[in-house]
Amino acid sequence: MVAYLIRRVFQMVIVLFFVALATYLLLSITATNIMPGGESQRKITPQEVALIRAKYELDFYFPFRFSRWLTGLPNGQIVINGRELFSNVPVGCYMVREQPPSCDQYLYLKDIPEYHPAVKSSKGIIRGDFGISGGISKGRPAWEVIQSRLRPTLELSILSLIFSLLIGVPMGIYSAVHQYSRFDYFATTLAFIGTSMPSFFFALLMILVFSVMPVFWKDTVPWLPRMPAGSYVAARDYMIASWLPSIRAGSTIDHILHLIMPVTVLTVISIAGWSRFVRTSMLEVLRQDYVRTARAKGLIERIVINKHALRNALIPFVTIVVFSIPGIFGGALITETIFAWPGMGRLFIQALGSNDWPIVLALTLITAVLTVVATLLGDILYTVVDPRIRFS
Amino acid sequence: MVAGAGTISIKPKLETNRQESQFAIVFRRFIRHRLAVISCILITIIFGASLLAPVLAPFSPTKLDGTLGAQPRPPGIVDSKGQVHWLGVDNLGRDLYTRVLYAGRISITIAIFVTIFTEVLGVLIGAIAGYYGGFVDALVSRVTEFMITIPLLPILAIVAKLLIQYNNQLPIPDFVIAGVGAILLTPATETPKVIALIIVLVAFGWMGTARLMRGMAFSLRGQDFIESLRAFGASDMRIIGRHIIPNGLAPIIVAVSLDLGGVIITEAVLSFLGVGVQDPTPTWGNMLAQAQSYMFQHPWLPLISGIPLVVVSLTFNFIGDGLRDALDPRLKR
Repeated sequence: MVAYLIRRVFQMVIVLFFVALATYLLLSITATNIMPGGESQRKITPQEVALIRAKYELDFYFPFRFSRWLTGLPNGQIVINGRELFSNVPVGCYMVREQPPSCDQYLYLKDIPEYHPAVKSSKGIIRGDFGISGGISKGRPAWEVIQSRLRPTLELSILSLIFSLLIGVPMGIYSAVHQYSRFDYFATTLAFIGTSMPSFFFALLMILVFSVMPVFWKDTVPWLPRMPAGSYVAARDYMIASWLPSIRAGSTIDHILHLIMPVTVLTVISIAGWSRFVRTSMLEVLRQDYVRTARAKGLIERIVINKHALRNALIPFVTIVVFSIPGIFGGALITETIFAWPGMGRLFIQALGSNDWPIVLALTLITAVLTVVATLLGDILYTVVDPRIRFS
Repeated sequence: MVAGAGTISIKPKLETNRQESQFAIVFRRFIRHRLAVISCILITIIFGASLLAPVLAPFSPTKLDGTLGAQPRPPGIVDSKGQVHWLGVDNLGRDLYTRVLYAGRISITIAIFVTIFTEVLGVLIGAIAGYYGGFVDALVSRVTEFMITIPLLPILAIVAKLLIQYNNQLPIPDFVIAGVGAILLTPATETPKVIALIIVLVAFGWMGTARLMRGMAFSLRGQDFIESLRAFGASDMRIIGRHIIPNGLAPIIVAVSLDLGGVIITEAVLSFLGVGVQDPTPTWGNMLAQAQSYMFQHPWLPLISGIPLVVVSLTFNFIGDGLRDALDPRLKR
């Protein structure tokens, strides 16, 4: 087991190294493609090109700049042949001569320290320095921007995780125990629709039914409550129905009301998959001999199900739940975008839209790390909950 | 059967029973799955309608009409020329019935292209890995595992965005652009973006099939008939191409149907998020994205492109279900 663990951790480190390498290559490509020839809105001057190249250290020897981006080492200013790198790159012009067009006095990179600090400020992504955000909130560290979105995402995903466990698992068990009953057909059909229905259309339907239609049917059914369609909290006080007191913006109730729809969408989607999974694995276990033995012993059905069958049926399910941990961070991409929820998923889409690559790549990297760790955790948990499985 | 004197009278009947081909058996089982059959009919109708889009649709999918105002208009609106827009128009005055048909054509074509390429790629990779085993298998398995672990949607979004942003730098041969453009009926400037999206979806879609095929090839290669083929001196290519792949195809056929539905949804999600097919070219995904910003004043808008999307996704899933029951009755739930 220890040997297995060591091997797995070693593999994990290699995988993560490749993920980081791929991420950095993407960063380099995106940085170089801001250059002329790419589809940018306006022509970029050679000075700006030099600035961007200096900012991302693109002229630096690749292994070194990759190591610097990853670990922050080698640190400090880079001196080659007694001359500091980039110090002689012209990035602007103080005095422009019209005829012939040229420059009399250049502005050098060393004159603008904010773009080329004498000692590089980056501590490397290993120590949580993901660079500076470019488009979303200019100048703030990318990690800080991500942190500010952490709480909403966690609220959303933990709530939906709890609800889908509380509803999905019993649903799957009941379906399996009463196989081919009316409830089973109902649940299976629902799960089928839930897995094949695109989540964004489901979210749009929710908004349509609970936020838009009440406004349209105001005259025919005036008592219909109207749910807030998006965002974290409301900007000003509002009424959800004429017969309810008005809701104060920013209050707890306001926040809960905003949570209901996105949590429902996420919950329904995972219930659809999980209940089917529990049902299948429960059906398999119920066919086993020891369950028949338990019944033959005269145990009451409730104990057979809950104590004998369920425990074994949930073994594979544990890993499924663990594997969904990375999804907690990045998985709610679509739902968060539709409900304008200020979480990490929406941040990703926003950053992608405004070419804020440090944030995009930081989020990708974080999700990848979590995925790899969760995979390992899932495998280890597997041996813990099921002593029959031994890795060697 | 040896034709004995006494069995001659019943022989023809026996013969017809015996000769029911594998295909006929599967077909008979498939017919029994009512929802799958209904789905097949539905998908044929939708597919046919989108193929006939230029004939059925009275308008151009991209032509703007300013006379109706810069607002979406409800179904049945009559424009200044007296023409009826059966599903209304969008905020730029484009006929939505026309756009939905063309969008279907584009979405379904993308799905078919992507599925064909992913399945071929996956089957080849899986068969080679499973048949050869050893180092090749280890390498392929590690890569597949790695690609399955990475979170797909963010990666797809990043790569799609990059490829579509810089599609003019992609080395796509002109005849491919012309060919795909002719099928999609998109202008030559938009076609490379669609091709870029197809490339992305193929590059990140082959792993499931490769895994399935690898498993099948792995179990097949230990069987006696493969051993005897090798003894007869059949080449590896022949064994893989003529024996391993055809014998392992049953689960792949089911996967094709499920993948078609999956690809349509993935494409719609990417287009919805703004990193897939871009606006002048209609797809159900980017039409939904547009609909979202107007749905508070015009609640019918998301339904126009959303309902076909859901119907197509459901039908492909039902067909996959039916195919699984037909091809492998043991898996029946």
